Amino acid sequence: MNVWQQLANGVIMGHAYALTAIGWTLLLGAARLVNFGHGQMYMLGAFIAWFAMRALGLPYYAAIPLSVLAGAALGAVMQRAMLRLTLQQNLVSLMIVTLGFGEIFEGVAGLAFGVKPQMIGSPLNAMNLQWGPVLLTVQDLTVVAATIVMFLVLRAVMAHGLVGSWVRMVAEDPLLTQLAGVNVARVYLGIFAFEGAAVAFAATLVAPRTPIITSMGFDEVIMTFVVVVLGGVGSVGGSYVAGLALGVFSAFFGALVAPAYTTAAAFLIMIPIMVLRPGGLASGGGLSR
Amino acid sequence: MMRPAMKLPLGVVLAVAGYWLPPLLGGSTLVYNTLVVTAIFAVMAYGQDIVLSDLGEVSLVHTAFFAAGAYATGILAADHGWNAWATLAAAGAAALVLALVLGLITLRTREFAFSLVTYAANVVCYTICYNWHVLGGSDGFVGIPPLDLSLPGLRLTALSNKDLWPYAYGLLLLVLYFVNRFRRSKLGHAALMVHMNPPLATMSGLDPHRVRLLVFLVSAPLTALGGWLYAYQRAYVGPDLFETYFLVLMLTAVVLVGRRLLVGPLIGTAILMLQKSYLSFGAYFDKIVLGAVLVAVLCLFPGGLAGLVQGRRRRPEAG
Repeated sequence: MNVWQQLANGVIMGHAYALTAIGWTLLLGAARLVNFGHGQMYMLGAFIAWFAMRALGLPYYAAIPLSVLAGAALGAVMQRAMLRLTLQQNLVSLMIVTLGFGEIFEGVAGLAFGVKPQMIGSPLNAMNLQWGPVLLTVQDLTVVAATIVMFLVLRAVMAHGLVGSWVRMVAEDPLLTQLAGVNVARVYLGIFAFEGAAVAFAATLVAPRTPIITSMGFDEVIMTFVVVVLGGVGSVGGSYVAGLALGVFSAFFGALVAPAYTTAAAFLIMIPIMVLRPGGLASGGGLSR
Repeated sequence: MMRPAMKLPLGVVLAVAGYWLPPLLGGSTLVYNTLVVTAIFAVMAYGQDIVLSDLGEVSLVHTAFFAAGAYATGILAADHGWNAWATLAAAGAAALVLALVLGLITLRTREFAFSLVTYAANVVCYTICYNWHVLGGSDGFVGIPPLDLSLPGLRLTALSNKDLWPYAYGLLLLVLYFVNRFRRSKLGHAALMVHMNPPLATMSGLDPHRVRLLVFLVSAPLTALGGWLYAYQRAYVGPDLFETYFLVLMLTAVVLVGRRLLVGPLIGTAILMLQKSYLSFGAYFDKIVLGAVLVAVLCLFPGGLAGLVQGRRRRPEAG
């Protein structure tokens, strides 16, 4: 086994997990919401970029912002539909609704994009770099760099910006925030638009590394759950570290034990943590950490 | 509201009349197919119904109970020649054991933590079934023999969906009777109290953790019974049983008509299966319809169809 190569793979995979999970981190930390359609939104983000390049002839760099905009719009539409349930804090119904949205997205993608696996033809993917025993692509490095920038920006906004303070207020007490004169509905809308945009952005960078297929939502994004839970719910820095650790774990588990069971192994780590520390999930306010 | 004295005879009349529904609807193969899968999926949905409506939790691992029933049946019938009575017991037992293990782990959590953990458990089960050759791997098990519930001196076999109808319908009636009894039982009342008012439940001397576990243990074999019959109906079990389609189907069936309404999940399943049989434009279209129905019900009329019909008259429970 080429240890250095596996380590590099793990670090890249870890950043990909963290980037894919960043929208969920804010969603769960701020709104106490989960989005079981997250995987399908990732899939849509990838396919919108693919479609923009294949059918509209756009270059990869133009397909990225297009997909991000579409993701933001999708997130906003979802939240608009769920607004009443969100303001009622009806978490049980909200969870089921996001599952329903995931089902819709998968059906629409199947009709629009077909059943065949596709490749997003990113030019960055063709640029190889050799560094000692380690082989990388520029795409891999872009994923790592973009993840670091995204996490630094989110952390700064959450800790210092006015928007960040609104989000933290909504996380603490939506009713009180409304009384304080903040438009809570608009904050929720913004959080969901960010979730949609962030997962689409992640998809445009991460998905070119492997073939994409419209049924991939279920598989592709389950690691997001593990990242968010391991990182401590809503903790921005924690999610980054958890993503990285999970990536390295997956790379070595895949190389040494069995790639097919990597997801199961990651979940088996997550379950005891969730069960033994349910208080850590219920308590909030960790957004700026 | 109907007077209770009227309810029982009416229920019996409807139950008997329901048996002749397929010939009344023309008796074509499509009618029998639709009604058999409606009965099977309704049975599956009643397991979820108990957890969602009475306990107030969203279990995302019920597809694994459905699959457990189907896999136990498929493996034992296809490879070991067990008859349908034996596989029936095995399907229930498999789901019960799985529910005990998963329930002990997951029921310490609540709400989204519970849903997340059960989702994780479901993915772990799927990964194991998909990769482990003992459970058929990605190919699953083919060649499940037709349903054979023969007793000494009595031949009870089912080769086609038409033959399966009496068994599917009988199973459905048994499950309806059971769910009805459950809601009137001590455990049913306890579940509702633990759901609606946990402090009161604790003060009344109930152990919420134990009640939640017991309800979970009751619900899993119900869903597995659907899996048992589905294995015979389809003559094949495989990892596709874990697909979110089944999960969204059972959740939609439960919320579509109205929660804690005995026939709710049955009518919900029937509506969805009628669409699939008679108004379908392919699998992707069905997915969109299913998802859209689920979203629309919960976002626009959370009381379900029954809530629409009843207008402003309030039901006792809002879930």
